[in-house]
Amino acid sequence: MTTLHAVPTLPSPDPRDPEDRLLRLLDEGSLGLLAPRDTSGVLAARGTVAGSPVIAFCTDATVMGGAMGADGCRHVVDAIDTALRERVPVVGVWHSGGARLAEGVTALHAVGEVFAAMVRASGRVPQVSVVLGPAAGGAAYGPALTDLVVMGPAGRVFVTGPDVVRSVTGEDVDMESLGGPDTHGRRSGVVHVVTDSEAAALDTARQAVGLLAAQGSFGPAALGPGTDLRALLPERANRAYDVRPLVAAVLDGPGLELHPRWAPNVVTTLGRLAGRTVGVVANNPLRLGGCLDSASAEKAARFVRMCDAFGVPLVVLVDVPGYLPGVGQEWDGVVRRGAKLLHAFAEAVVPRVTLVTRKAYGGAYIAMNARSLGATAVFAWPGAEVAVMGAKAAVGILHRKKLAAVPPGEREALHARLAEEHERIAGGVDRALSIGVVDEVVEPSRTRRRLVEALAAAPAGRGAHGNIPL
Amino acid sequence: MRVEEIHAEMVSSVWKVLVAPGAEVGAGDTLVILESMKMEIPVLTERAGVVQELHVVEGEVLQEGDLIATVADA
Repeated sequence: MTTLHAVPTLPSPDPRDPEDRLLRLLDEGSLGLLAPRDTSGVLAARGTVAGSPVIAFCTDATVMGGAMGADGCRHVVDAIDTALRERVPVVGVWHSGGARLAEGVTALHAVGEVFAAMVRASGRVPQVSVVLGPAAGGAAYGPALTDLVVMGPAGRVFVTGPDVVRSVTGEDVDMESLGGPDTHGRRSGVVHVVTDSEAAALDTARQAVGLLAAQGSFGPAALGPGTDLRALLPERANRAYDVRPLVAAVLDGPGLELHPRWAPNVVTTLGRLAGRTVGVVANNPLRLGGCLDSASAEKAARFVRMCDAFGVPLVVLVDVPGYLPGVGQEWDGVVRRGAKLLHAFAEAVVPRVTLVTRKAYGGAYIAMNARSLGATAVFAWPGAEVAVMGAKAAVGILHRKKLAAVPPGEREALHARLAEEHERIAGGVDRALSIGVVDEVVEPSRTRRRLVEALAAAPAGRGAHGNIPL
Repeated sequence: MRVEEIHAEMVSSVWKVLVAPGAEVGAGDTLVILESMKMEIPVLTERAGVVQELHVVEGEVLQEGDLIATVADA
């Protein structure tokens, strides 16, 4: 059991002071320690974030660099179990060199118990990690097991440090390139949000907790007048564009984009729609033409499962030319990792509405929460295309012999005519409506209203599963 | 001086080149437009600066990872 203890009010001058960090994370005056401060290397507390109760813990970098021993790990396990019992989010602030070497296997065992506690809580209460310094060895997997990882500029996450890397592989690398913000924000996908200051990292954690803990409800009055969202897309149908302004305009404003630099061809953003927290999954044509690939499918799958676990409805914005072709993709497991996205959408019980803005082709059409996967509703903007592939490419295959038989001078005209016919019978939005894979053509200016109506009308659900870090 | 290297993300052909070495560019400006997957895909610079080197010409086919341009702080 945990009890509350009085908090000294004078902040310590050491910037690594764990109490200071918790004070900056929590609402002013809300912090109450779960156990008195000791030499365990961990400080745990309860408090509020924007009024919502949370449990938080912080490794104490002022004691042995925040190394984790049996006593410190017990504080973390206690904090997580308390959060689980009280059904409130838990925020972990990390600055730790890993397990306490002097404690040997005892420390390893204790760190393992922290992992087990995190997995017990997975999908049941939101877990957010903030990495402000090194989180090495065992401490690396603490953040990695949680739902969201935020990293400040001094954050470093790695399993083995530069010295060990150098002695084993001969690679000469510093801590930052091994496991700093750029590495994990862009290359590995370990970190969801990179910030340019420690204060911004703690603020981002507060924002994430607010979105997940105080989800609100749809208030159509908050929608405002409908604007022509199509103006955010280029006039030329085959011109790529950045989808993020559209995501912000579909939402009440910019949300919290997760993994903005990793697998940027799909955008995953938590934000508010008519006041309620929703998750947006959107193809981004500006990157890789908006193709799905192995990394983006995995990124989206994890996001969808997190939203489902915490009862966050989903909005899926589709403009996808297909899966990215290539040997590299196949060898990279695009089939295995793409399957995760199919699995994630098909199992999700939260309301989930799809909007096809321009095109949805092939296997990627299915993967983006198609009707067949159980979408709550599928909307399309006028003129959107739902097809196996673009009409021109399709007739090139279907009518290869016919096209080859005509004189070269007439080939282009025939190709265009066949494509037009094909689109009418196979790829146009009318066809998609008639076979029921699109429910409704929605005017761009009415999009926000229809999304809210469809999401609000569906029974609220929440997936009964953990959130494995896919 | 920081230099941003801009690489091709996918196999594509260079459809249009919009800047020349020495051009001043702002964050988010389009440097070239590639063509791939039957789409025109603008390639943007992430930060403002001066185009230092330009390694592509219109019509050229790029492989994933090919260097397109470098942008240096102004």
